[in-house]
Amino acid sequence: MIEDRRSLPRRLTFLQSAVMAVFAALAVCFWMLQVAQHQKYREMAENNHQRTLALRAPRGTLFDRHGTVLVRNRNAFNVSLVREQARDLDATLARLARITGVDEARLRETVDRHRDEPRYRPIVLIHDASDAQVAAILARRLELAAIMVEQVPTREYPAGELAAHLFGYVGEVTEAQLNRPEHASLTSGAIIGQSGVELTYNDRLMGQDGARRVVVNSTGREIETLGERQPLEGQRLQLTIDWDLQQAAERAFRHYGYNGSAIFLDPRNGEVLAMTSVPAFDPNKFATGIDRATWTALNTDRLRPLQNRALQGRYSPGSTFKIVVAVAALEEGVATPDFKVHCAGGANFYGRFFKCHKAGGHGTVDMRTAIEKSCNTYFYTLGNMVGIDRLHKWATALGLGVKTGIDLPHEIEGIMPSTEWKRRRYNEKWYAGETISVAIGQGQVSVTPLSLAVMMATVANGSTRHVPHLVKAVDRGEGWKVVPPPPPAAEIRMAPSHVQALHEGLWMVVNAAGTGGRARIEGRNVAGKTGTAQVISNIGRQRAGKTDRDLRDHGWFVFFAPHDTPEIAGVVFTEHSEHGYLSAPIAKHVMEVYFAKRDGLPPPELPPLPGVPAPRVPAAVQTEAPVARLMRSTRPAEAPPASPIPPAAPAEATPAGPGPARDE
Amino acid sequence: MFERRLFVHLDWLLLGAILLLAAIGLAMIYSTTYDPVRDRVGPQFFTQFYAIGLGLFALAVCLVIDYRYLAEQSHLILGAIVLMLLYVLFFGFSAGGSRRWISLGFFNLQPSEFAKIALALVLAMFFAENRRGARNWSDLAIAGVFLAIPALLIARQPDLGTAVTLVPIFLGAAFAAGLRVKILVWLAIVAVLTAPLAYSFALKDYQRSRIQTFLDPENDARGAGYQQIQARITVGSGGFTGKGYLQGTQGQYKFLPVAHNDFIYSVLAEELGFVGVAATLALYLFVIFRSLEAARAARDRLGAYLVVALVSGFTFQVIYNITMSAGLAPVKGLTLPLMSYGGSSIIATLASFGLILNVRMRRFTN
Repeated sequence: MIEDRRSLPRRLTFLQSAVMAVFAALAVCFWMLQVAQHQKYREMAENNHQRTLALRAPRGTLFDRHGTVLVRNRNAFNVSLVREQARDLDATLARLARITGVDEARLRETVDRHRDEPRYRPIVLIHDASDAQVAAILARRLELAAIMVEQVPTREYPAGELAAHLFGYVGEVTEAQLNRPEHASLTSGAIIGQSGVELTYNDRLMGQDGARRVVVNSTGREIETLGERQPLEGQRLQLTIDWDLQQAAERAFRHYGYNGSAIFLDPRNGEVLAMTSVPAFDPNKFATGIDRATWTALNTDRLRPLQNRALQGRYSPGSTFKIVVAVAALEEGVATPDFKVHCAGGANFYGRFFKCHKAGGHGTVDMRTAIEKSCNTYFYTLGNMVGIDRLHKWATALGLGVKTGIDLPHEIEGIMPSTEWKRRRYNEKWYAGETISVAIGQGQVSVTPLSLAVMMATVANGSTRHVPHLVKAVDRGEGWKVVPPPPPAAEIRMAPSHVQALHEGLWMVVNAAGTGGRARIEGRNVAGKTGTAQVISNIGRQRAGKTDRDLRDHGWFVFFAPHDTPEIAGVVFTEHSEHGYLSAPIAKHVMEVYFAKRDGLPPPELPPLPGVPAPRVPAAVQTEAPVARLMRSTRPAEAPPASPIPPAAPAEATPAGPGPARDE
Repeated sequence: MFERRLFVHLDWLLLGAILLLAAIGLAMIYSTTYDPVRDRVGPQFFTQFYAIGLGLFALAVCLVIDYRYLAEQSHLILGAIVLMLLYVLFFGFSAGGSRRWISLGFFNLQPSEFAKIALALVLAMFFAENRRGARNWSDLAIAGVFLAIPALLIARQPDLGTAVTLVPIFLGAAFAAGLRVKILVWLAIVAVLTAPLAYSFALKDYQRSRIQTFLDPENDARGAGYQQIQARITVGSGGFTGKGYLQGTQGQYKFLPVAHNDFIYSVLAEELGFVGVAATLALYLFVIFRSLEAARAARDRLGAYLVVALVSGFTFQVIYNITMSAGLAPVKGLTLPLMSYGGSSIIATLASFGLILNVRMRRFTN
């Protein structure tokens, strides 16, 4: 008892000392957290309750030359995830998948793709969510604290597939694109132009995203806005396109049932009035994040709908190349318009007989008639006189074998052979006999439809090769400002008498006894030239069994109008149509629309197809309705013309078996 | 039994410190339950307010009745509590996966809070009556039975946190009663040796994961580690002077769960900063010191043991909760005495201070 009383005070003192020590330690701990490490925890607290929401800038609207809206924006809802806010990521994704019906694996894949980004940055899981999905998410806000629904302007192409290649499409910036210096200011998830005008003018169209800093509570609900920077809309572009012509071109392609491409230019300045490539795709599908299946389908489609045939397809120009031969001969002084050649159904060159397409021959023809009748013999002779290198010079001057410089991405160039080219390419000598084939647009020469359109526009104006371009004016938000056209690519300055002779010959093709009669418009003086692009040599054709419709030749029609003061020029290219004159009605329809609009006349109708399902072309050749034709993979066997131009086979030292190229 | 002159000896300073802490707690409950959208404070504020009133009444009752009389009746009190704990186990009102409450209609009574007082009384009485105090193993074993009965019943609810707070009460009483240091050392060794066994066999999965989480909170930042990390952020972001009353972002935007209850001190640290922390730590330290002085001044062994037992339980809970509030201890459902929301807790705590004041007040009476 006594002992206890003595020990108790000691023990109490011990307890007090122990408590004192512990409290001192606690004070030190709080000091460490609250004072020493305050900065770090303050930032963590801010990240907890403050979010920066991107306010997406709408991309600039695209207008046609008359102010019609071509491409615009609409409001869509994106569903995003802020990982930092997710207490249980797996459960959140599972729940989101369940209520929205989106595949959970896909959501997870999306999250994985953005794994290395800061955790506070939203990851867009569902682009363009449906109203039902948005409603379902908002109804379960509390369980989905980390999920955000944002309203974003989304690109809209009201016309669907129309002019799809021209407009291009937009999509989320890719990993590889982010690493490029010009995209340094972009963050993951940004929407940029991926092709077409959307890509070329991306910097102008993009605008500047705004931002809003908000306070959120632990369930993700926004409590208040701390600050806001308004998004800046992208610049608006007025294109050189005339929507009526564009629609007319695509309507005509559908009407006549062809795939292919058409370009309509203003030969006076290089403005693109219409440009189409068929088949196309729907750019709206890309705007909201294309799904893998659609992408694969587009990419593996045999008809290659993603390819812009106008500037990514390379085809042999066929008889349209005769215009280039004529220009070269005239300008080099090799021949005058009155230079005459006798066609007896072919001629001998370098020990071989090259056939003309007309068995009996055209008789004696001058240049105008030779163009009108597309006489092979005449141009064999002319080509032979000019020689390959001067042909190359003039073809290049007219824009063939080089890029046109159009303001669209991924343009390829055609091939215009020369002795130098052959030496460089094959390390071989050029044989003069090869020139004979080139003179009628066969052999090694190949062009893109766009470059052929530029050639035609240059011949039309007779002096200047303009760079085709798509933008007329731009509005940065302070009114429309005209965009100066690019400087001309080349000045040709042909002699006026030469130009006149050429124009007359080309006028006769359409308006006299030529092959372009289907493009004739009363009173409009259309000038043009047809051509056939061989898909495969006749030898190859026999080898391939002559059955596949993919082996049928392509048809060209190049044109301008009116022939004395050209305002519109271009090319129509129809795939596997076999005859250039089948391209002509498409060009005719578009030009009719052009003139009707210019003169304030009612828009023209497309003519009914002659006797569907009765044949449009001679019954012996073709017995099917045009749409059905595209579907078929076989066609009635047809005897190939007598003799082939050999394929572009480097191994063949000498060119051309005797005989003519096919022509109409 | 009660004499008016006793009030002369009442420790007004200690009473004032206690009330001040309770008032600060009330203010923090206001802050954590205030809804700025509806400009309204949560119902918890009023519940706590009335509970403090009831607690003051309980304090008065425990003050006026001589603690020796209460100690003599302690076996009955403990018996009654045990019966209530049994009742809770079978008919209790359950919430959050455990049965802890007896529903009284207007109030949910949590008997385990009052078990602490009953145990302190019983142990103080036992050690005081025992001639040898608490010197050997057999005395300790008998006292251990008194501890084990309520502790096991509470642990069964399950409410391991409250059950564990009974242990410091037991140890405090035994230590005051002269428990040999050698025995204490042995107990410590046994505890250390059995800890791994208990970890593997006695703990439930969620309890194990909480301990793992504490050791490595970043590993499970969105699961069990969430509260701990958020607690640290809450405290750390407060800084030296705090974000200001009602201005805390962590508490106001509900990043910290049960802020008005287990984590009220985190919110205090956030809104009032290190200054507020230092002030409240000082107040708690003062309360503990002053209470232990009451033990020193006590007229008899019973009073001294009773005070030490009660203060031990109180101190343990204060230290643990504050440590946890800073994210420095595993998250355990232990309230901060005097400040956390909880009717039974505040009433029981005030009642126990009634007993402490009682002992000091009657230090000169015979």
